Amino acid sequence: MITTSLKRVGMLTIAGLLLAAPLTFFVAGAGAQGRVVYQTTRKNAGTPNSTNVTTNSSGVVISYGNSAITYNAPSPKLASLGQALFLQNCASCHGTEANGVPANGTSGAYPNLVGLGPATIDFWIESGRMPAADPRAIQAKRRPPRLSSKQAVAIAAWVNSLSPSYPDIPTPNLKNANVSDGAALFALNCAACHTIEGDGDALAQGTYAPSLRNIPAYQVVEAIRTGPGNMPRFTGNLSDFQVRDIVKYVTTEIQHPQNIGGLGLGGLGPVAEGFVGLLLGVGILALVGFWVGERQ
Amino acid sequence: MSSEVINTKRAKQAAAGPYGKVGHALNELDDRLGVAKGGRTFLDKIFPDHWSFMLGEIALYSFVVLLATGVFLTLYYIPSTALTTYHGSYLPLDGQRVTEAYASSVNLSFAVRAGLLMRQMHHWACDIFIGAIVVHMARVFFTGAFRKPRELNWTIGTTLMILAIVNGFLGYSLPDDLVSGTGIRIAYSIILSIPVVGSYLGFLVFGGNFPGTMVIPRFFILHVLIVPALILGLVGAHLFLLVRQKHTQFPGKGRTENNVVGTPMFPVFMAKTTGFLLIVAGVTALLGAFAQINPIWQFGPYEASRISYAVQPDWYMGFLDGALRIWPSWSFHSFGYTIPLEVTVPAVILPGILFNIAYVWPAFERKLTKDFAMHNLLDRPSNRPKRTAAGVAVLALLSMLFIASSTDVIANFFHLPLNQVLWGMRILVILSPFVAYPVTWKICQELRVVEGGGKRKTTNVVTRTAEGEYVATAAPVYVDDVHSELEASEVPTFIVDETDKETGPGTRTVDR
Repeated sequence: MITTSLKRVGMLTIAGLLLAAPLTFFVAGAGAQGRVVYQTTRKNAGTPNSTNVTTNSSGVVISYGNSAITYNAPSPKLASLGQALFLQNCASCHGTEANGVPANGTSGAYPNLVGLGPATIDFWIESGRMPAADPRAIQAKRRPPRLSSKQAVAIAAWVNSLSPSYPDIPTPNLKNANVSDGAALFALNCAACHTIEGDGDALAQGTYAPSLRNIPAYQVVEAIRTGPGNMPRFTGNLSDFQVRDIVKYVTTEIQHPQNIGGLGLGGLGPVAEGFVGLLLGVGILALVGFWVGERQ
Repeated sequence: MSSEVINTKRAKQAAAGPYGKVGHALNELDDRLGVAKGGRTFLDKIFPDHWSFMLGEIALYSFVVLLATGVFLTLYYIPSTALTTYHGSYLPLDGQRVTEAYASSVNLSFAVRAGLLMRQMHHWACDIFIGAIVVHMARVFFTGAFRKPRELNWTIGTTLMILAIVNGFLGYSLPDDLVSGTGIRIAYSIILSIPVVGSYLGFLVFGGNFPGTMVIPRFFILHVLIVPALILGLVGAHLFLLVRQKHTQFPGKGRTENNVVGTPMFPVFMAKTTGFLLIVAGVTALLGAFAQINPIWQFGPYEASRISYAVQPDWYMGFLDGALRIWPSWSFHSFGYTIPLEVTVPAVILPGILFNIAYVWPAFERKLTKDFAMHNLLDRPSNRPKRTAAGVAVLALLSMLFIASSTDVIANFFHLPLNQVLWGMRILVILSPFVAYPVTWKICQELRVVEGGGKRKTTNVVTRTAEGEYVATAAPVYVDDVHSELEASEVPTFIVDETDKETGPGTRTVDR
């Protein structure tokens, strides 16, 4: 008797939980509309949680983060400027609603930007990839940016106003970063595509991992947190502190490597070394032999 | 005799005997050991001094540099995979758990005086060593120097090349950095792919599964003791055979199959070759000082979970890596076994075929040409179109395989899709020998009929005679092209051998 009633209670509890779970998700989803629900796990590092948020008087998040990385929301005041810039520079492909549907175009031809978060928009514009030089290119190339930093933030502010989302635009604080941890994390997470020396390399079918030699710190954070192009989006497995360590390693040792052994030979590794060894080493010595020896 | 007489210079010389003090001491030595006659023969030994004969010397002297710098490195390197925490001058590694092998290699580079110079010289000398071996081998091949009676020396030389490549790979693996660890991983997989015995062999070499803890100590003892001892022994045999069989020479004025024209061991050759040793060491030292090679501190320690893209082996392993990269992924599974043809064929069977071609070539050519005669005069490569074409075909294939080892670098550098580069290299590798052979053969055929081909052209002086006739006469050869030093000249005879009935002036031409 007791066991059956216990079973019943148990089953009821499970059924209740099963019913309640979607409800909680629904509630959470409803809350997300107002940008006030916080992620409390590390599953989405780079998004605000209940302990790290600064809000303005009307309860809107203006910045969040910690001593490692501060994420700043673009000022809503810039949104109208951003819309004008967007219509000028982006709308021909992404559409006037930023939803990836150009005028008279088919849906899905270009990426939908709504809900991507300010960091994504900021990264693509400030790295010069957008506006695209060739919209049909397999991978947009890094170029000198066509829009200023403020213009990029303005566009991010407008796109974000359509459907507020995260991550916001990061500012890493590298003061207390541990470059050694950064090196280890870089080898584990980044070297498989960007190479251990950060030169980048060709991937399949015309895509490539770009070189990291000239990328400013905040863009490294943006790339890690948003995963542009083929790059995975690193959220759950890297904390803000770990990201900061990686950024420190990239902006110091990758961008200014300690080539104490002489000329760095372009960081191409054994390919360049082989050429130098054969052409300069064996070549010079053969020439010396030619000079010393008889030539008939 | 009074003391002041003895103190004069002349009296001292008289007291020391006709050969001086050193000469006297040597005389005493000769009385007991009888080294003078053999030593004299050796010092008078004639070496042809064509410049291309010095390519082998580059290999020999870079090996000397390898031995010297290598001994230095062993004083600081710790061949152990035991884990330690790095606390050194390279901050990005500070506090990381690394193997003793890696930590000692980084410390060797940062904390040991001249350590990095020695490490870089060692590595550059290795690249030069194997490069010079290959160039020397090509010279021997294209000039037909491997023919009877020198087939054995060709075999020894081929073995030396393989041992040098193996030892280069072993040494490259020792720092236990991320890049070399990946190389060991590939080597392990290649061993595994050998049919039937692969897994047993892999466990035997690595003392268990990859990576294990045995591989670094084992590679170390192979790299610093066993393989170098083999190389040293074979180099000795190589040089002994060279001296015993006497050096080949190009055909030319006064040169026959039965003599050697050149400079004597002492003083000319000895001075030249010693100077060359110093130049090889100097070039290696310059490269070691100014060109960075294998910056292991930037690569970080090896862990089986880590991998870097764009990892290539040193150049001499490039053809293997290239073959592995471009080979299609053909493997089949049957009776519960996997036959990984995509590894076995390019990494085991292909090098096996290539090295065996090198081994059997002298016998193959003997059989083909029915030429069993002794050859001391070298061929001009263009006079042997088929051999030259075959050699160029193999070199073209190897070069294309070598280039295929950097498909990713090519794709990235020229902004090409990697897959297209891969397919392009597949086509080029297959085509290259079939293009290289006929093209080389045709060039050789053309060169054969050219009078004075390969020599510097002289001007034709056209003159008009009083009758209005035009006459073209060749201008005299350039001063640089005249080799008066090749004219036979007298050399002083130090020891009069009573048994030698031929008392003519000693010339620089000696009989075999």
